Amino acid sequence: MSSTGTSAQDQAQLIAAIARHGDKSAFAALFQIYAPRIKAYLMRLGTPAGEAEELAQEALLNVWRKADRFDPERAAPATWIFTIARNLRIDAARRVKPLDRYAEDITVQPIADPAADQMLMTEQAEHSLHQAMQVLPPDQMQVVRLSFFEDRPHADIAQLLDIPLGTVKSRLRLAMARLRSNLGED
Amino acid sequence: MPHHHPSDTTLLRYAAGTLDAGATLVVDVHLEHCTDCAQRVATLMALGGDHLASLPPEAMAPDALSKALARLDTLPAAKPSPAPPQPRLDWPQGIDIPAALLPHAATPWKRLGKGVAISRLNIPHAHRDMQVFLLRTEPGRTLPRHGHEGYELTCVLSGRFRDSTGSYGPGDLAEMGSDVHHQAVAENAGTCVCLIALHGRLRLDHWLGRLLQPLAGF
Repeated sequence: MSSTGTSAQDQAQLIAAIARHGDKSAFAALFQIYAPRIKAYLMRLGTPAGEAEELAQEALLNVWRKADRFDPERAAPATWIFTIARNLRIDAARRVKPLDRYAEDITVQPIADPAADQMLMTEQAEHSLHQAMQVLPPDQMQVVRLSFFEDRPHADIAQLLDIPLGTVKSRLRLAMARLRSNLGED
Repeated sequence: MPHHHPSDTTLLRYAAGTLDAGATLVVDVHLEHCTDCAQRVATLMALGGDHLASLPPEAMAPDALSKALARLDTLPAAKPSPAPPQPRLDWPQGIDIPAALLPHAATPWKRLGKGVAISRLNIPHAHRDMQVFLLRTEPGRTLPRHGHEGYELTCVLSGRFRDSTGSYGPGDLAEMGSDVHHQAVAENAGTCVCLIALHGRLRLDHWLGRLLQPLAGF
């Protein structure tokens, strides 16, 4: 469950209220939840605070503009809003670093981990956009977030989490393999 | 369905929004051909949603909400997306132009040699060491061997080429790093048109380097 305090269903209703009635109090509620978090997402990727704040505003305005296109069957509200923020970042960013794949490439290797297979067998591992949180165990999700969604080098992550560099890499490998085989279940 | 896809790393960076704008465009085009990768991206976007929801908030200015509310009043009512702009480039017959490319300006085809031509795309906000271009090659033509300091992301739009790493047809995406020196041959499958994002400085004797000078006149 997210830490925003408002359930996905409630957020979906807020978006619907915007789409159907131009409901400004619904907009305000979503703004309070997501604008500060979009700002945080951008700042953690190196966007300066002022620009991050402007982009967060713009993202919420896009939520308003596109509310009628949100389909709760296809994505959770947080996913939809993340996509809006991510698209803005790509279009607006002047500081997107080039892909340096050979510095930090993670090769997906087959893993023989019965516990992992067990988890993949559960119903929740079925390809469902709403269940993304159950796809990865917390320690793997944490390194995926730090490495990809916060763009931190592996050495920094190792230091931050006080774990060996090798552990960072192996958790990322496991996470990638799990994401890959989770989709292979289809 | 394509046989060659972006690496896991590239797809994750693509979803997270940390991949360069030029490379992002090449992946956009691949996704128009590849429902498997599009589904993977949807799942990765859901990870992004979880990430966003779990972040500790970064305080906004005290008047941030009131400023946003004020702007709502001046926003035009939602309208359907405008029709895509007409393609400006003279595309070879019979090619489906990817939707992702339509908004981008491209230089007219410039002949590089017999049966080979290049068109450079203007990608605002791409990293300064990133170049994006279309390469058009007639069947049977061999592109000169080349190397590069960074990496190259190629998506085939039509036709087919072969190099030491395999055979690439429409929708296929090839990632080549600085350790690969490759020489591609356009196979006998019609005009081969590829979208290429090239990062890093080119070797000085590189045939592309003579042409891919800092843009004038864009």
